[in-house]
Amino acid sequence: MNCLEYRRAKLADPRHLPDSACAHALNCASCTAFAQSVDDGDTEILRAATVPVPEGLADRVLLRATGAYRPAWRAWAMAAGVILVVGVATVLFVHAPRDAYARLAIEHVVHEPESLTTRYQADGASVAVALRSVGATVRSPLGQVRYIRLCPWGDGGTAWHIVFETPQGLATLIVVPDMRVRSESDASASGWNAIVQPVQRGFYAIVTSSPETTARAANLLRTHVNWNA
Amino acid sequence: MEALIGNRKIDFERTVRAYGADLYRYAYWLCHDRFAAEDLVQETFARAWKSWQELRDTGSVKHWLIAILRNESARVHARKQIPIADEDVYELEIPEMPKMADDLDVRQRLDLLPRTYREPLLLQVLGGFSCAEIASMLTISEGAVMTRLTRARQAMRQESAETVVRKVST
Repeated sequence: MNCLEYRRAKLADPRHLPDSACAHALNCASCTAFAQSVDDGDTEILRAATVPVPEGLADRVLLRATGAYRPAWRAWAMAAGVILVVGVATVLFVHAPRDAYARLAIEHVVHEPESLTTRYQADGASVAVALRSVGATVRSPLGQVRYIRLCPWGDGGTAWHIVFETPQGLATLIVVPDMRVRSESDASASGWNAIVQPVQRGFYAIVTSSPETTARAANLLRTHVNWNA
Repeated sequence: MEALIGNRKIDFERTVRAYGADLYRYAYWLCHDRFAAEDLVQETFARAWKSWQELRDTGSVKHWLIAILRNESARVHARKQIPIADEDVYELEIPEMPKMADDLDVRQRLDLLPRTYREPLLLQVLGGFSCAEIASMLTISEGAVMTRLTRARQAMRQESAETVVRKVST
């Protein structure tokens, strides 16, 4: 095998070289260096191609494919988790500052910046599912929904994270099922403003860049959504 | 009977946990959208579960899942295939190249590759498949796979060289 043949073989299948190619590389410093550069290139491609995998993907796949199946050990883990969540929620409910959930909503938006830069045309059905989780129904379509995702919330809970367009700019709606708040609250932090509103089976939060935009987004939502259906 | 179904579910769960991430990454590079990639993976495993009892060779399960995912992707996107001439690899030049730059550069270069080159490259580098396995998945000859892989690596290296030249000259 000559240098050209070796390099062709290396570029086509770097990890499965014939014996004759390996023998050639042993006696050719130039081809050994070439092989190293191909291997380095593959390492970089592998690293770049290894994009982050969404948290909980396997669980969502299993839930959809096989139903709510969970092995026994996970049932125990869930039970322990439920006890922990109830404990934390009780402590939060009794002792937390009034604006704790509004601040949590702002923190959630700040920690998920891609939600404001990603464009994903969500269908109306997904939004309806998210709203139904707190007992709300859609009166009329929200308009352009750019982002919708089920996110981890607090200690073991989940919340629907929705970003939609309003005439004043982007607004984030966070729908948190099965978690009670006592009354409406609001907070401002890190250049963001949020309000929290209790509903039948949980609460929702609206986060925007200013109190005025938040108030307008809240009015818009009251028009489009029946929160206590 | 219940024990049999239980074993099937355990096998399936192991498979989802073992290959879910690889499938997601492969799907991401097919569609360049993380939501669509997750949908593809969900649909792939949903279809796999429906046919799970028909799976005879558990050793080839990853190969089988990739085939389902590709079919699903083609069904969803119904992309127009660009005809590619798999020219003789002996006509190709082999440049000596410097080291590649950072991840962003590499991702951009991967994005710039035509899908017909990107797909076999990802199957080999990300999926660890051999040329013969890739040929069987893409339903092309092994020689054509080798040509595409050579071209893909050349293109990546060529782009890399241009990036370096640009950085040096600015």
